[in-house]
Amino acid sequence: MPRFRGIKRLMRIERPGTAVDRAVDDELRFHFEMSMKELVNGGMTPEEARRETERRFGDVALTRDRLATIDRARLGSERRAAWWSAFSQELRYAVRGLELKPGFTAGVIITLGLGIGANAAMFGIVDRLLFRPPAYLIAPERVHRIYFGRTGRDGKEFVGRGTAYQTFTDLSRSARSMEVLVPFSNRRLAVGTGEAARELFIGASSADLWKLFTARPVIGRFFTADDDTPSANPVVVLGYRYWQSEYGGSNNVIGKSVTIGPSTFTIIGVAPHGFAAAEIAEPSAFIPINAAAVVSFSASGWQKYRTAYNVYWLELIGRRRADISADAATADLSRAFVESYRLQVAGNPKTPSINVARPRAIAAPINLERGPQASADSKVATWLLGVATIVLLIACANVSNLLLSRAFSRRREIAVRMALGVSRARLTAQLFIESMLLAFFGGVAGLAVAQWGGQALRSALLRDVELPSTIADPRILAFAAVCAIATGLLAGFAPIAQAGRTDVATALKAGSREGHGRRSTVRTTLLVVQAALSVVLLVGAGLFVRSVRNADSLHLGFEPDQLVWVEPHLRGTKLDSTQQVHLIRSLLDRAQHNSSVENASLIVTVPRGRTFGDEVFAGADSTREIKDGIMQVASPDYFATMRTRIVRGRAFSASDDAAAPRVAIVSEELARQAWPNLDPLGRCMRVSADTMPCRTVVGVAENIKLGDLAASPDPIFYLPPQQSDEGDANFIVRVRGSAVLQTDALRRDLQRLMPGAAYVVATPLTHVLEPVTRSWRLGATMFVAFGILALTLAAIGLYSVVSYVVKQRTHEMGVRIALGAQVADVVRLIVVDGVRVIVAGVAIGTVASLLAGRWIAPLLFNVSPKDPVVFTAVAVVLVAVAVSASWIPALRAARVDPSTAMRAD
Amino acid sequence: MPTPDLDLLQGTLDLLILKALTWGPRHGYAVASWIRQTTADRLQIEEGALYTALHRMEKRGWLEAEWGVSENNRRAKYYELTTRGKKQLREETAAWNDYASAVSQVLRAT
Repeated sequence: MPRFRGIKRLMRIERPGTAVDRAVDDELRFHFEMSMKELVNGGMTPEEARRETERRFGDVALTRDRLATIDRARLGSERRAAWWSAFSQELRYAVRGLELKPGFTAGVIITLGLGIGANAAMFGIVDRLLFRPPAYLIAPERVHRIYFGRTGRDGKEFVGRGTAYQTFTDLSRSARSMEVLVPFSNRRLAVGTGEAARELFIGASSADLWKLFTARPVIGRFFTADDDTPSANPVVVLGYRYWQSEYGGSNNVIGKSVTIGPSTFTIIGVAPHGFAAAEIAEPSAFIPINAAAVVSFSASGWQKYRTAYNVYWLELIGRRRADISADAATADLSRAFVESYRLQVAGNPKTPSINVARPRAIAAPINLERGPQASADSKVATWLLGVATIVLLIACANVSNLLLSRAFSRRREIAVRMALGVSRARLTAQLFIESMLLAFFGGVAGLAVAQWGGQALRSALLRDVELPSTIADPRILAFAAVCAIATGLLAGFAPIAQAGRTDVATALKAGSREGHGRRSTVRTTLLVVQAALSVVLLVGAGLFVRSVRNADSLHLGFEPDQLVWVEPHLRGTKLDSTQQVHLIRSLLDRAQHNSSVENASLIVTVPRGRTFGDEVFAGADSTREIKDGIMQVASPDYFATMRTRIVRGRAFSASDDAAAPRVAIVSEELARQAWPNLDPLGRCMRVSADTMPCRTVVGVAENIKLGDLAASPDPIFYLPPQQSDEGDANFIVRVRGSAVLQTDALRRDLQRLMPGAAYVVATPLTHVLEPVTRSWRLGATMFVAFGILALTLAAIGLYSVVSYVVKQRTHEMGVRIALGAQVADVVRLIVVDGVRVIVAGVAIGTVASLLAGRWIAPLLFNVSPKDPVVFTAVAVVLVAVAVSASWIPALRAARVDPSTAMRAD
Repeated sequence: MPTPDLDLLQGTLDLLILKALTWGPRHGYAVASWIRQTTADRLQIEEGALYTALHRMEKRGWLEAEWGVSENNRRAKYYELTTRGKKQLREETAAWNDYASAVSQVLRAT
């Protein structure tokens, strides 16, 4: 080296680099040495040799850099290739391992699939209700649904989102915090004419609505402020779905006419796919709010709905300014609302004063279910998501357990591999890959479960909403992926920790008899946890099932199953009162002669549908006044139609006509309130005012539940149609067979009698009543489904653990049997062991359920969250399951042939 | 002595290197010397480019390198043809011959 002093200079090495740099330098140094040596041997001076070497080589520094770069890239790709090949080898190994145990693999995949599927399906619902902002919405975090709070004279605050157009006008003038404020009303309006006339949801709003969204019309245009004046020609923007279903997505719809309510609208555009404004269900069309006022309220009197403060027919949505917080917006809107309220009081002195009403506004999240008026449905759905998580945890515990028992039976294999020099890291990776692989397949199975099982669930909770299928929803997919990964980690954790502790020497020495039947603590704990969680779910299931049964067995005072509610709508057709009465009578006559109809009656009050309230004054000499009396018109067939019993006196007859003496029938509750401890029959009551003529009470009907099942009965009075205002009446019809199936035929039959644009709406009464019990039904169905799932998983877990223990104790059992133990002794020994674990779980689960009961209580109906029947039943079921899950392996243990068992291993 | 101004194409340099390695593993200096001697120094190959080509071909998997001990007992990096390298040499040789014969056919045309 000293002979070639020039080399260092040639290479200009300043500092040592990485291994790659050093290798390049070594290679080049060798090259330079050889080159100079040869040149010097050829007769050059060292200096000439150095220069010649440099000339032949070119730019040394540049080449060094290039070579290092190339080498680094090569090493990187080599490392990646090595990793991939190792990974794919491990993966193949894992797949082969799973293929060898198809039962185990299928069990785990199904378990995880059900767990992940339940979660994905529930997440889809909860996400839609609570988290996902409406499609196309700009800056969703700044868009609010505005609620109004007013305190009544009774000191109770009512918070609601309904408001008047005038309040909107006041707020939009004075609320500085909102950059866009839109009046919106999703109205049920008649669309089309004649037999095709149907009531559809139509979104009505100001033209500012479009400023909240990025949505652009598919064809045509959206309406503008010029279209939204009282004198403008009515225009309509079709919803995408309605455009597809009604017009086949044709481009020629622009300029066509469509009848909405009594008016004719011109189609000017089509909203894009999935646009539903701030609603969850997509409205069929969108119209300007002024046109909606004309349509909804009779053409002559509609102006007052612009200026009246007490007609709540719309709600407000708005976007606050970016520099204003939600709290500041609430404060600003409240201030504006107080100002507006002051104007309202000034205009109508009968309005409660500001000090009483304490008006306030709330800028709440745009998702309805996150606002002050969230429904029980979304609470139940959220609970169910929590429950689904528990099911997934149980599934994880189970898979963990199964993996553990596999890891145990593979102890020797693992020990051998470790003795052969396979590193712990590699073994861990192996187990990890195995559990992730299972989680992956579980996730795929889960998506299938969510796809098929979730459909039913979503149609129950989110009816009328077109949802993309689970698999096409990126948010659900991402959620399922997160679930699967978490599951893989969670389920793999215990086995990996266990494998990490494997002691080669002990495992190899011990053989399969190692541990002498000692249950692993991890596995026992997992089982106890599973049992406890199952108890919680089954208790929940029991409580909801009892709620539903209580609701179903509740005596409503009428039988809704075969009833159809029929509403005639005149829709602007001018009829005088005689014509109106004639129409109503002929409709009733037609309905009664329809072959599918059993009975029909006029009504004005419909349970949960509409209520006619009026004041009742009891007795000619009494001033007892019942303010919240509810009026019902009842044809002679009314009580037969509703199947409401007449407790005393008689029902109405055809002779109770306009010329006959005025009569009335009262509910038991009204009788109790009006004439306590007296016989109501024959007494006088006055309706509306104490100056009205007497009506004689001729009958008492049993109480009926009009709305809330938990509410106390309403005081109801019944009047014969001809002695009251029958022109405004609706019908209630009892059909033969299924109400759902008969409804449309009935509607078409009655529609023939309707003059002009007038139309008839028919609804099965059960559809009207269903929302009352829906949350309990949903809770019952899902808790039962999840509870059974959890119990099955726990049973499988217990079975596998007991089987494993039995296998471990074969030798011991052999000894016992050889020493004279009977079959019953051995079975008892094993079963008691299994049951003990479950009993521990039951104890923990019971305590947890009692603690959780507090939160679930508001969602139940007439059931205490500590219902002893439910708790006892669940405990019995769990113990029974524990006994049967231990029984089979216990019998197997009892049949051990002592000589074989003791010779083995 | 006038040197023919041959602009050496990248592919040609690769071909020369592959050919140089057909006699067994060689280090970079040996490859450079062999090419110089065989061509009587008619191709002015910049040795820096030659090393770059060697490393690139190693990355592509045509060559495999291993550190060994040289004839004068020094540590040197030896390159050897891989199966893929041999195949590459066959193909490039055929392509080059094709090309050369086509060009000379044109030049011979009268």
